[in-house]
Amino acid sequence: MAQEHSSKQYDIDLETLRSRVLEMGGLVESQIMAAINGLAAGDTRALDHVIVEDHRVNAMEVSIDTDCSHLIARRQPTAGDLRMVLAVIKIVTDLERIGDEAAKIARMGKQGYSQSRMPRTPVAAVKHMGGIGIGMLRKALDALARLDPVSAAAIVREDFEIDEEFRSIVRQLITFMMEDPRTISQALDILWIAKAIERIGDHAKNMAEQVIYVVKGTDVRHTTVEELEREALG
Amino acid sequence: MVVVLLLQHVKHIALLAQWLNQPTPGKVPRGSGLWDQLFALLYRYERVKTREHQQLAKTLVRFRQAGRAHPDGVVILDAENRIDWCNDTAEHHFDLSLDSDGGQPIANLLRQPEFISYIEGADFSSPLELRAARTSAIILSVQIIPYGDSQKLLLSRDVTRLEKLESMRRDFVANVSHELRTPLTVLSGFLETIRELELDPQRSRDYINLMAEQSKRMQRIVDDLLTLSTLESAPSPSLDERIRMAPLLARLRADAAALSGGKHRIVFDAAGDFDLLGSENEIVSALGNLVSNAIRYTPDGGEVRINWRASAAEAEFAVEDSGIGFAPEHIPRLTERFYRVDRGRSRATGGTGLGLAIVKHVLNRHQAALEIQSEPGKGSRFAVCFPARRLVAAAATETAAQDKS
Repeated sequence: MAQEHSSKQYDIDLETLRSRVLEMGGLVESQIMAAINGLAAGDTRALDHVIVEDHRVNAMEVSIDTDCSHLIARRQPTAGDLRMVLAVIKIVTDLERIGDEAAKIARMGKQGYSQSRMPRTPVAAVKHMGGIGIGMLRKALDALARLDPVSAAAIVREDFEIDEEFRSIVRQLITFMMEDPRTISQALDILWIAKAIERIGDHAKNMAEQVIYVVKGTDVRHTTVEELEREALG
Repeated sequence: MVVVLLLQHVKHIALLAQWLNQPTPGKVPRGSGLWDQLFALLYRYERVKTREHQQLAKTLVRFRQAGRAHPDGVVILDAENRIDWCNDTAEHHFDLSLDSDGGQPIANLLRQPEFISYIEGADFSSPLELRAARTSAIILSVQIIPYGDSQKLLLSRDVTRLEKLESMRRDFVANVSHELRTPLTVLSGFLETIRELELDPQRSRDYINLMAEQSKRMQRIVDDLLTLSTLESAPSPSLDERIRMAPLLARLRADAAALSGGKHRIVFDAAGDFDLLGSENEIVSALGNLVSNAIRYTPDGGEVRINWRASAAEAEFAVEDSGIGFAPEHIPRLTERFYRVDRGRSRATGGTGLGLAIVKHVLNRHQAALEIQSEPGKGSRFAVCFPARRLVAAAATETAAQDKS
């Protein structure tokens, strides 16, 4: 993206910025994975670890934001470089939110297991849904690393899948609660967890839109999938 | 004359310049007189260089091919940890594509925090164990080897199998000690009671009976363990020994009736006159195990169906029950040693936790497959499929035996 300027240090700064976002992304990826695996296995120690580690994600958000404002102040980036910095600022916010969702999943899981055993079937469904969410985040980060708008556009489609999974879990939970009202409190915990995963999908989708913005220069937020795909492929 | 000579030189210089502009191998221009000699020298020099170049290129291709074919993943990183080159295995392990990811910093794509701290640290003396992010079923052992001037070699090896074996071994030792400790605790508890307290003869006889029961249980576990280890080390059963199925099935039926004691409805159905080839003892113990499981896990009044269907192509022995069943997620692990669907339940019915492991082993040795279906509360179905090469028509041999006699 750095054709117009000749400063080598500037290039290095921009590259470092992107690498740091991806590093933060890696941390967030591992947080969600640990939260969902811990939830499925009933491993409360792993869940505790996720909650404790959340502050690292927050610290990275603040530090990358500072890097961004320094870069803008010192280099006055334009065109593609400017888009990159602006997108990084937005992506970092999304990543931090995903980190919060991971911590939320861990807290809900701990609460569920402290009361009694979690019903197994919906937990398995949540794990499946979590797999889709993690995959979306990973693909969004890959698209950012490779600056690949085509795979970014594919993520937006996947968001529909995760929404459908969410609705099916809700239906499942409703039948559980109707059959046995004693499961209501656990079912609600699972509902919150499923909602958190659904939000992860939304954030991953936002990140993918930012990748398209960086590469193509068009803002594809709040457009239809067809328009977005046309922009990404064109 | 001078003009002619000058023109000659100018022409040759133009030819040389033209060639130097696009030095095609083997296309050095030809000249006359002094220029011919010069061009000949140039031609010879060019030919030697071209040959050296081809040699080098060939060697390079060979090395790349060798690197590509390497069973471990290899990634070459430059001083800034960018991907310089990688082989097919590395592409698969890390989900990279050399065409699109060449020049990309490796940490941008391998983002696991453990890996980032490994690559940023300076200590590469020991490998790092990493779960492949994209295909999380794969466990990789990753090591960085610095070489040359600040270049690095990133090696990855798939250790999934090793890891699995290691965890199975750990589980096995833990399970054996646990399974043996439970009856042992009971034994030593009763022993202490008898030693410390004055007991009336009736009481102490009860205690001694319980102790005998527990020691029998330990005996059974040890026997099963020995059976398993024999099965593991013994050679595959021969194809010569014939197992006559009709009497064997009759025996299984009688055993089932005896074990049930009339508490279950036992439906027996056999079709197809075929015998098996293999070890009779092993097959009896495997099939008997399936039958006794069905009876033990079916509540009184339930139904157990024993089916034998044989044809020239394959044979199936199936045991179906209307028992308590289990959730399908247990099926893949059911034949693991000491794996229990429900800890309390199987021990209460006297299982050692090794029965299905033995069944699985015996069947493997006979190239037979075990198919399990189950639904909680509805019952289970265990089916054994024998391949054609283990089957032989029963009637033919019966008559052959009669002919001989």
